[in-house]
Amino acid sequence: MIDYLWLIFRVLVFPGFTFILFLTMFCDWIERKIEARMQNRMGPSFTGPSGILQPLADFIKLLTKEEITPNESRKSIFRFAPFFAFSVLIFALCFLPIDGASVIPNVSFGGDLIFVMALISVANFLLFLSGWSSSNPYSSIGAARVLTQFLGYDIPLLMLALAPAFLAGSLTIATIVARQWIPFVVLAPWAFIFFIITMQAELEKDPFDIPHAESEVVAGYETEYSGGKLAFLKLARDVQIVFGASLVTVLFLGGTNGPAFFGLPELWSTLWFVLKVVAVIVISEYMTVLFARLRIDQIVRANWKFMLPLSVLSLLLTIGLAVWVYPMV
Amino acid sequence: MGLSNGVIAMTKKNLISPIVGEVLNYLFKKPATGKYPFVKCTPAEDFRGKQVFDIALCVSCGLCSRDCPAKAIEMVDVNGKKRPMFLLDRCIFCYQCAESCPRNAIKSTEFFELATTNKSDLVLKPQPLDQKPGVSNVA
Amino acid sequence: MTSNNLDILKALEAKNFQIQIGKLGTAAIQAPVGKHRDALKILLDLDEKTAVTAITGIDLGASVGVYYHVRTSNSFVTIQCEVPKDKPTLATITDLVPGAAFHELEVTDLLGVVFEGHPNPGRLVLPDTWPEGVYPLRKDVKINEVKLNTPSSEDVKLSDGSGLVKIVIGPHHPALLEPEKFAVLVDGETVKKVEPRIGYVHRGVEKASESKTYLQDVYLVERICGICNSCHATAFVEAVEKILKTDVPPRAKYIRTIILELNRLHSHLLTLGHAGLEIGYETLFQYFWRDREPIMDLTEMITGNRVISSSLTVGGVRRDIKEADIPKIKATLTELRKKIPFYKQMYENEPSIRMRMQKVGVLAREDALKLCVVGPVARGSGVDIDVRKDEPYEAYGEIPFKEVVYTAGDTWARMNVRMDEVEESINIIEYALDHLPSGAYRVKVPRVVPPGEAVNRVEAPRGELFYYVKSNGTAFPERVKVRTPTFANIPAFLKTAIGESIADVPPNFVSLDPCFSCTDR
Repeated sequence: MIDYLWLIFRVLVFPGFTFILFLTMFCDWIERKIEARMQNRMGPSFTGPSGILQPLADFIKLLTKEEITPNESRKSIFRFAPFFAFSVLIFALCFLPIDGASVIPNVSFGGDLIFVMALISVANFLLFLSGWSSSNPYSSIGAARVLTQFLGYDIPLLMLALAPAFLAGSLTIATIVARQWIPFVVLAPWAFIFFIITMQAELEKDPFDIPHAESEVVAGYETEYSGGKLAFLKLARDVQIVFGASLVTVLFLGGTNGPAFFGLPELWSTLWFVLKVVAVIVISEYMTVLFARLRIDQIVRANWKFMLPLSVLSLLLTIGLAVWVYPMV
Repeated sequence: MGLSNGVIAMTKKNLISPIVGEVLNYLFKKPATGKYPFVKCTPAEDFRGKQVFDIALCVSCGLCSRDCPAKAIEMVDVNGKKRPMFLLDRCIFCYQCAESCPRNAIKSTEFFELATTNKSDLVLKPQPLDQKPGVSNVA
Repeated sequence: MTSNNLDILKALEAKNFQIQIGKLGTAAIQAPVGKHRDALKILLDLDEKTAVTAITGIDLGASVGVYYHVRTSNSFVTIQCEVPKDKPTLATITDLVPGAAFHELEVTDLLGVVFEGHPNPGRLVLPDTWPEGVYPLRKDVKINEVKLNTPSSEDVKLSDGSGLVKIVIGPHHPALLEPEKFAVLVDGETVKKVEPRIGYVHRGVEKASESKTYLQDVYLVERICGICNSCHATAFVEAVEKILKTDVPPRAKYIRTIILELNRLHSHLLTLGHAGLEIGYETLFQYFWRDREPIMDLTEMITGNRVISSSLTVGGVRRDIKEADIPKIKATLTELRKKIPFYKQMYENEPSIRMRMQKVGVLAREDALKLCVVGPVARGSGVDIDVRKDEPYEAYGEIPFKEVVYTAGDTWARMNVRMDEVEESINIIEYALDHLPSGAYRVKVPRVVPPGEAVNRVEAPRGELFYYVKSNGTAFPERVKVRTPTFANIPAFLKTAIGESIADVPPNFVSLDPCFSCTDR
């Protein structure tokens, strides 16, 4: 009985659903504040101290607005795609060890890294479907661009994600985290840099921002959405960013490893995890601020000409180092 | 900051885009925007804001109303003489009225926060002399 | 090749055209109906930089006057024609000068003159529901009594069966600041054709100006455009001063120059920031607009308001520059000058800017000459026209400055032209402040203007701005004709967008700095 209650607590409150939601909103606030300060302006400042309640206020505001469903859209897909995308991403986050063990206890299995990467693709595909089902030329162009971009960049992403797997000798996330007494960013820094750039393309942030390009396609796949569905679509995107950052943390920065000083070790693991996720988000936001938006043909060309060969090379280099050099050290 | 200046110098020589260092520089500086309305900003000295009308100087010539490009001044009857009534929702704040007035009865203030939910706030009626001696219609 | 004024006059007189020197520009040429094309051909053969600035239509009672205002390298002439009201037709000139297409459509809409042989007849500035046969600028039409037709309830077709998808940009679109409609027909991602429809912001300023006095009209024309408001005011008051034959005191000329250059500074910084936004570069946008704020504060200090200066009037300027303000102006300009190397380096070195802006929207020099483009769009394609140098007005004849010309013809070149002009504007203002003459800043002028007509050109931030003012001896003008620079530049966009990707349409479009309030008046 206690086990079931403990399971429900873990999944729903900490480190599960509620914690992930608050983490998402916190990371959203960090992102907006850092971006604003780099652009020499204030960022959210009025709601709550230093504007920390702004993402929550935006979410609640959207929930109170009217929801309009276009007549010609595929109504079932239109209505449920945002919620499914959001749920898939939360489910994927449950496999990552946030406080030392994965959220749903004992759920990790051999090869769950591949499973988690597949879930990213499913979530992106659901976002594409949300744009495709609203019968609007702007949405279809945005949705087609989402598809082109994430399908192209999935391949280098997977190859670069295999580099830490080779270094750890296993495809299970828990094992990868456990074997990182030296974080893999030190052992394979090239893989870290390329992984962050490819993650930038997966998460559709500048310079790979084209599916959201405001000046051309109004709002991309979000054009026809309003009210609660738009709130969940935006939340799905924010959870996607947190998930990408968590993946980088877990694979390269040592996940939840870190010294625990006093009290519960779980709380310290969570604290180290959150700090590392925030650090990755700051780096990602720095890249966002630096660049303009590239055209879709430039992005596709960059993928097949540069990212794919570079990721293959980096994987080969890492395998070589893992097999011959590091066991001697 | 020592680090950021060094970064900017390096980027200038190496022909990397200068924004790489500039952005880090601004991360640690005060923002250029301010928390209006909690922090007020004062406009310049001769700013063309809300009008102030001195009924004691008015001679009822009607030139202000005739010259107004936006038809924002109507001459209304106050104690037997015609005086200007300012309709601020039509006014374009060009102050041609002040220029045309031969007695300098219309002057400008620096008050610009005129937004209101009550349209009657935007009508400046001329107050007769016996009710408010001297200057009237101050914001 | 450039021409000499004498050659033009000799060639025109040889064909028996009547010429009046000094009227409506350098000279006015009276052309009987049907002979205007011959006069235009003479001008085109003699000079490669001949271009049609504007076509004015004016109601002369029993006939409609159609005046072609043509600029060459060294002069500005007007070809005057008249057509009777019962048979208002003229041959088109779009085969000689393709850039005159929009001007002819406007005269057709507003005055009812039909140009035979026009390639795309149709409505331009009036809405589709405007009743046929009612021409607003004719004197007998009272606008309060015009009733619009009911709009048709057809659905907008998204494809016309030719396999091309129609993407409608506007009237409501995040890429456009003001409403206009551009239907872009694409094949995959390549643009094949652009169909424009302008006139969404047409407020009838030209008709309204005929029922207000000259003093009130200064404020009316100032509000045609928010960004280049001083230029409109300058062009109008200079035209009226030409009719009145008054001389403005030198101090007023210098103060007007300072206000005009401040206007140019804030407009160019706005465009440079907006271009950054269109290519997705928010950081550049925020930086440019942060640097634009001190210029608005300077304008507020000198004229009393941040954007619309309301500082010019017939006979001078309304307020003086105080001595105590001059150090503040110079300090702000020095701060701005320090930031320019950073922005120029960005444009040179930043890879994403170069990928999005170079070789995008290329306008070749011959096309720029044929389409009669003006302003930084022309100067970015190697055509060196600048009214401040060609026909100096105010104090520009006495202030040394460089004319900025780039030859690449793409979006990147046009943005660089504007960036260099920011630096030149700072130089001009500092020179003007150092050499500010003392004395009066205003002279008194009569309220009733004697009969006469005048043309005037001014270099607005977007290009050459043209005014034609005719007075009939009363306190109200007879006709005020405005030709704004964006009106002349939109045909260039219709040409440069073809063959490029649809993702290139926003930066291409913003690089010609569109201002639709100006276009539609």
